[in-house]
Amino acid sequence: MKSFSRIASGIEGLDRILEGGFIRGASYIVQGRPGAGKTILSNQFAFNHAKAGGRVLFVTLLAESHERLFQALSTMDFFDAERLGKDISYVSVFQTLREEGLDAVVKLLRKETKRQEATLLIFDGLLNARDRADTDFDVKTFVAEVQGQAAFVDCTVLFLTSASLEETSPEHTMVDGVIELSDTLAGVRSLRQMQVRKSRGSRALGGLHKFEISNSGLTVYPRIETLYAHLGQQEEVEPTRISCGIGRLDTMMGGGLPRGSITLIAGPSGSGKTTLGLHFLATAENEPALHFGFFETEQRLRLKATSQGIALPPPGDPGFAVLWHPVAENLLDRLAHELLDHVAAHGIKRLFIDGLGGFERAAVHRDHLTEFFATLTAQLRNLGVTTVATWEIRDMVGGDISAPSAHLSALLDNMILLRQFEENHDLQRSLSIQKMRESAFDTHAYRLGFSPSGFMIGERLGHPLEQPSPSESRG
Amino acid sequence: MALIVVADDEFLLATMLADILEDEGHEVVTASHGLVALERIRARRPALLITDFMMPVMTGLELAQAIRADQDLADLPIILVSGAQGAIGREHGDLFTDVLDKPYRNESLLAAVERILGV
Repeated sequence: MKSFSRIASGIEGLDRILEGGFIRGASYIVQGRPGAGKTILSNQFAFNHAKAGGRVLFVTLLAESHERLFQALSTMDFFDAERLGKDISYVSVFQTLREEGLDAVVKLLRKETKRQEATLLIFDGLLNARDRADTDFDVKTFVAEVQGQAAFVDCTVLFLTSASLEETSPEHTMVDGVIELSDTLAGVRSLRQMQVRKSRGSRALGGLHKFEISNSGLTVYPRIETLYAHLGQQEEVEPTRISCGIGRLDTMMGGGLPRGSITLIAGPSGSGKTTLGLHFLATAENEPALHFGFFETEQRLRLKATSQGIALPPPGDPGFAVLWHPVAENLLDRLAHELLDHVAAHGIKRLFIDGLGGFERAAVHRDHLTEFFATLTAQLRNLGVTTVATWEIRDMVGGDISAPSAHLSALLDNMILLRQFEENHDLQRSLSIQKMRESAFDTHAYRLGFSPSGFMIGERLGHPLEQPSPSESRG
Repeated sequence: MALIVVADDEFLLATMLADILEDEGHEVVTASHGLVALERIRARRPALLITDFMMPVMTGLELAQAIRADQDLADLPIILVSGAQGAIGREHGDLFTDVLDKPYRNESLLAAVERILGV
């Protein structure tokens, strides 16, 4: 099968969505309302392309001043004024269009592309060209001619437009690809997303992908479901076991946590979920470990560990890291990318996520959370990571205990439940294993205590013959 | 008072500059790129050329080089107005009588025009 030669936009997430970048010599429409990010995207591409040795011709059809554009771009990391007039040229064809029409613009573009030896042509203002065209046929001819002559010299073309062109519009039918940028409100949040609406002769990651705009330009987060879709069903969890950090619990689980498994610790606030996770991380011998949390800073975590007698690796230890994302305006896929990138880059083998609710809060479209968690957990298994994650049960004391969601439970290999209940007007805690995939386990509930050396699993609850509980012994 | 050619592909800037100069009593001819400017200059020699740098077909630098290479035009005063390429212009001191960075103040431009025209 013939594969296309591509030019990278240098916007990593976009290149991943386009499965390697823009096709050399092909033409694309980038559309979106004013403010959607077309100018930043195209300029970021332009400067990255020039940096990589390409030459860019940026043509505008607007009366807006190039100087104002440069002023706006000067705050961007990718902007390099030194390149202007050398390997990136901005020219306006407004007067040519006004005085001589579309045909003259086509002719001028052909000459300029050749004269500048451009490998990337960006044409800003297709909407204006459209206004000028008398019929759809004229627009179609214009687009066809511009892309035809660019393709002839292997020059890639981006047409920018603020019109929301329909799939049946003449422009769409002519070009090889269409990328749509949108900026919508989700509740009170502003949400930027991009979608590849058309990608001729080449695959692209489908659906809406979130992106952000900062001084470094666009950062695109391809939906992880599309990125890792090929993983499919994982092979069985490896039989080898690793310690969860608490000997008694290892025994209850039948020898520890299966390597590469996903374990959920569910329980109300204050029941000891984080402490259990810290034990798990502190037991990582020569295995890079990561705490990925939403609640505590590294400093607070260390204080907590010290007070529980848990010895975390010292600060700066290359085998241990804390990534903290306060519950604010997080983007679901950004969190996943940061997590997976860190895991891959540092060869993390023990991961503690505190907790999954942080992902849930970040989700704008909750209906795809199950698919999101399915992909995330599959990818973590694929990377050979043993993961422990927490899930907060909102009922503080007693009440019905329910699994996070039926779908989510199915994605997890093991589940440990921490409960709180009152006994003789005193708050008690218990621990029980609810599920171990493919493995026998101790099904009893045990009293849970905290000692200066951390977690302490006490006597079995509700079994007077073996170890009577205090209430019964008093009776 | 004097005929001035303004070469700028950016329509608004060219028009605004033309208006300012006309207010001062000058006659202004605009050109949307270097080649048009050269044609206008050859058709009717102006007292001054004010040109942008980045333009289609022929840049301000190429325009200035063409003028300096033309015996009849070699001594034509040229002001380069440019944002990012002011430095390139200053490297070619022999081509440009003066270089102004965009955005410029109208007063500075008019002062440069008066200085060159000796008004």
